Amino acid sequence: MTRNQKIKLYLFMFLFSASIVFAIMFPRLTLPFGFAYIIYLMCKPFTIKLTTGSRRQRLIYFSLMMTGIVFLCFPLFATLYNVDTDFSQFSNQLPEIQKMLQDKFFAYKVMVFEKFGIRLNLDPVNFLMAKLESQGTIFLSHFPDFISTIFEWLLLVPLFLYFFFMESRRFSRNFLEAVPNPIFEKSYVLFSQFNTKFGEYIIAKFIEATILGTLVTLGLFLIGFPYPFILGFIAGVTNILPYIGPVIGVIPAIFVGMLSKDPNVTVLSMLVIYALANLIDMILVFPLLVSKIVNLHPILVVVSIIIGSQLGGIVGMIVIIPFIAFFKLLFKEIYKDLSVHL
Amino acid sequence: MSYEKEMMDKLGRGESTGDRLDIPILKYLWDASPLSFMAKESYHEFFKKITFLNSFSDNEVRLFTKYLHRREFMTNETIFKQGDSGYGFYFIFNGAVNIYANYNNQPEEQGDFIIRLEKRQYFGEMGLLEEFNRRSATIVAAENTILLGLFKPDLDLMLETHPVLGAKFLRETALIMANRMGQLTREIVGLKKKVKELEQRV
Repeated sequence: MTRNQKIKLYLFMFLFSASIVFAIMFPRLTLPFGFAYIIYLMCKPFTIKLTTGSRRQRLIYFSLMMTGIVFLCFPLFATLYNVDTDFSQFSNQLPEIQKMLQDKFFAYKVMVFEKFGIRLNLDPVNFLMAKLESQGTIFLSHFPDFISTIFEWLLLVPLFLYFFFMESRRFSRNFLEAVPNPIFEKSYVLFSQFNTKFGEYIIAKFIEATILGTLVTLGLFLIGFPYPFILGFIAGVTNILPYIGPVIGVIPAIFVGMLSKDPNVTVLSMLVIYALANLIDMILVFPLLVSKIVNLHPILVVVSIIIGSQLGGIVGMIVIIPFIAFFKLLFKEIYKDLSVHL
Repeated sequence: MSYEKEMMDKLGRGESTGDRLDIPILKYLWDASPLSFMAKESYHEFFKKITFLNSFSDNEVRLFTKYLHRREFMTNETIFKQGDSGYGFYFIFNGAVNIYANYNNQPEEQGDFIIRLEKRQYFGEMGLLEEFNRRSATIVAAENTILLGLFKPDLDLMLETHPVLGAKFLRETALIMANRMGQLTREIVGLKKKVKELEQRV
């Protein structure tokens, strides 16, 4: 490599690292940008088909975005309304639940004293309620920030999305022109593969979560279990996490089932519903939609989720899988090259 | 069918040719015009002189150029090394390249000089077609060179967005491969003949 080429390569590496640091320093800009990029990758296969051969791309993209907003927001608001109803019901029942928990814990304390002669001085129920109250206060104090963030995202995400639809090709070409020759071919192909895999994975998980959430909601609704919408919503969202997600998703339902005084509500029937929904997911939905896209070992998936949660919370847990699949691909390529050249 | 003929046919049938000016097409036609005073050779002119793209219409050449990447190499800069993973097909837009092959499998060696490729010639088509391609030779820029590269993701996109163009390009590439296979077979037959003659002499 000549001196000029080396300078070019180091300069590119420096600028690339600097842009990553910039992205980390300004999450208010980076997060909606990333979210818009994920939506863009999800829509890309459809937009290519729609815009091919058309000279009215601007109009198509605008109509597509408007249709997307209406079709996505309507069910979201409808679900949120039901979730809100379920949540208000739950809030109204909270004092009752607190009293019941206190009674149950008192009975348990008596039982321990009678059997072992140990006097328990703990009061976990009041501790839990105090914690809930303090967390609620914190949430309320941050509520204006939360609302302003939502409005910021409502403005920025469609803006970035429109930019991705209209300019992404030109932008990526300009960026690729700056990539130094020695790393161009490989980085371009790997970047394209990552984009395709990432888009396919997100779309597949979105469909999978929707199917599972709908199945759980329907099942719970049919057996008359309380809060079917909120529990179905939680089951769908947690299902995005492989292996761990279904287990986390069932915990709120177990609590609701245990606390319910309704004799018709049984934890067993609820568990059957969850098991059936997850079985359908495991046998039909997952093999057809997801497994071919991300071919990773189950242990690697679980370890990745733990690392993802440490790095970026829930979002980190979701997006870490395609990243790991990409790194696997990258290491494979580097290893192949090393084995040839060494 | 050329773009001009397509438009004339549309006008002849009374169909609309598009109700607004398409600036990129106008710019392209301006660049492609043989009366253009611009000294620089346009992509259109360049590809029109490449024999294997002869069957492409003007509009197809215009679309094809949209998928290409312009890469500039300095004299003696390595374009790729023997054994590297291959993903792309290159046209020499300007300059020349030297091809070297290393028969001893010594990675640090550049290898023996095989051939020099000049403007309008191409190389690397196997990288575009094979799933796991390894470059069979090292290519070095013999002078300051501009290459136009088409890579696997571009071909995938081309097949998705302009399937006819993609199929046409693949057919032409298959023809190049078939020609090279034929040439190779003839060379092998010739070599075998020579080996036989040498064996008989011995």
